Amino acid sequence: MALLELTDVHVTMGVQEILRGISIAVPERAIVAVLGGNGVGKTTLMRAISGIYGITAGSIRFDGQEIGNTPSHGIVRHGLAQAPEGRQIFGTMTVRENLILGGITVPQGEISGLLEKSLELFPVLKERLNQKAGSLSGGEQQMLCIGRALMAKPKLLLLDEPSLGLAPKVVKQIFDLVKRIRDEGATILIVEQNAKAALKVADTAYVVEGGKVAVEGKAADLAKDQRVIDAYLGGAAHAKG
Amino acid sequence: MPDIFDAYFAQQVINGISLGLVYALVAIGFTLIFGILNVVNFAHGEIYTVGAFAGLLLIVGAAPPLLAVVLLVMAVGAAAGVGLERLAFRPIRRFSDEASLKSRAMREATLLSSLAVSIVAREVMAHVFGGEMRIIPQAALLQDVITLGPLTLTNGNLIIFGASVVMLGGLQFMLYRTRVGLSIRAVSNNVLGARHVGIDTNRTIVATFAIGSSLGAAAGILVGLYDGNIYPYMGFAPGIKAFVAMVMGGLSSIPGAVICALLLGVSESVATDFLSSGWKDLIAYGLLVVTLIFFPQGLFGHGRERV
Repeated sequence: MALLELTDVHVTMGVQEILRGISIAVPERAIVAVLGGNGVGKTTLMRAISGIYGITAGSIRFDGQEIGNTPSHGIVRHGLAQAPEGRQIFGTMTVRENLILGGITVPQGEISGLLEKSLELFPVLKERLNQKAGSLSGGEQQMLCIGRALMAKPKLLLLDEPSLGLAPKVVKQIFDLVKRIRDEGATILIVEQNAKAALKVADTAYVVEGGKVAVEGKAADLAKDQRVIDAYLGGAAHAKG
Repeated sequence: MPDIFDAYFAQQVINGISLGLVYALVAIGFTLIFGILNVVNFAHGEIYTVGAFAGLLLIVGAAPPLLAVVLLVMAVGAAAGVGLERLAFRPIRRFSDEASLKSRAMREATLLSSLAVSIVAREVMAHVFGGEMRIIPQAALLQDVITLGPLTLTNGNLIIFGASVVMLGGLQFMLYRTRVGLSIRAVSNNVLGARHVGIDTNRTIVATFAIGSSLGAAAGILVGLYDGNIYPYMGFAPGIKAFVAMVMGGLSSIPGAVICALLLGVSESVATDFLSSGWKDLIAYGLLVVTLIFFPQGLFGHGRERV
């Protein structure tokens, strides 16, 4: 059975139905990518899983338990942490305080060990520990954001657009780290517009359109799928070139 | 002549520091709540009064030692703060995302609801306790004279000074070293980020009210015993002064508010050298206007951390 299983999830914001029956399965120790353009509901999906938004219908099961409509602080305690869109770091607090806050749901005694592990994964943060998080570069902030999520000891790590606004070199660095985090035992659900980068690391992928899954399959197959190439991998440009 | 003037001046500075520290304790409550919700809690002055009356009842009823009075008053203040949040703030806060938590509608609605609670609380106290000043048992007053050369202090000066320093230090420790404090700062800084790391924002807001209100209530009883006056309208003036200190300090900077509160207290006290005491309230408003004209973000507002 999958670690995270969304079945026919609907989310309505105001009068608008953003998610219209989305179903996704994330098997244990896999990297699953959700692709799609702007405004198809990717971030809404992530926020619904993290309990920031409530769901109006359907079910979200995590580790065998129904977690739909659980408040966000309860979700993190279940073992599900997110590096959210826009990073949402605490800019005026230090890097160390950001990381400590990431572990606010784990027992106090485990914090120093987790901090060490995070810094091992992101050595750039080590020199910046006492610096204000807002003074970091975009790539460093993204690493802090992922490091902060890992402080919660998640079984499932959610990444919402980790490549947004970053230089290609930094994007590669981040995706290499994503693979490493999975190899160390976590399961990862990643939402991306950068389909090329995401398909390279993912095992399976879903393409979302209009609040529904349009295409799903093995990442390697999707990378060859003509519809996906046309829509998300710059297919038209390739054909011409 | 200069000697006498200097002694008098030093005396006024000492009195001003006591006054300023009291404003600081009240201003912190404003600042913490403003930092986390972007709203001014207009009922904060009444928490100060509630603290004073709670202390008075305790002293009349059981006459416990001063430390016990202050601690119990802080507990009562914390409870009053939690009640206030339930009554005037929580019902208006439907969602806890950043947009609605710090929205204009939320700000204006809670401004009025907290004002309403403050009026009701004040009038209820006036009805129950009567509008006049209450007589405080002589033994409980903090007016024992201590003579230091040409200076005359009271034990109230020293106790207010000591208690404020301990409370301000405790607050800093709490904000920077404990999980509750880190959560308060995190919610002030980025609500969405705070929710993503698993902070219960409602609980953190309640904690903020409890902490800010316990300091305000402690200030109320200390001043009541120092001045010898406790009455239902006593919270108004320090409430306004603390509000001025918060605005001068940059709205959401605790160190800024504390420094400005001290500045305000000392200026008011020293100004009685030059002005008749009836004019002393002018100082606060004068400083506020000057600050807003020349430093619209407050003296310590620019680029500082909230809370």
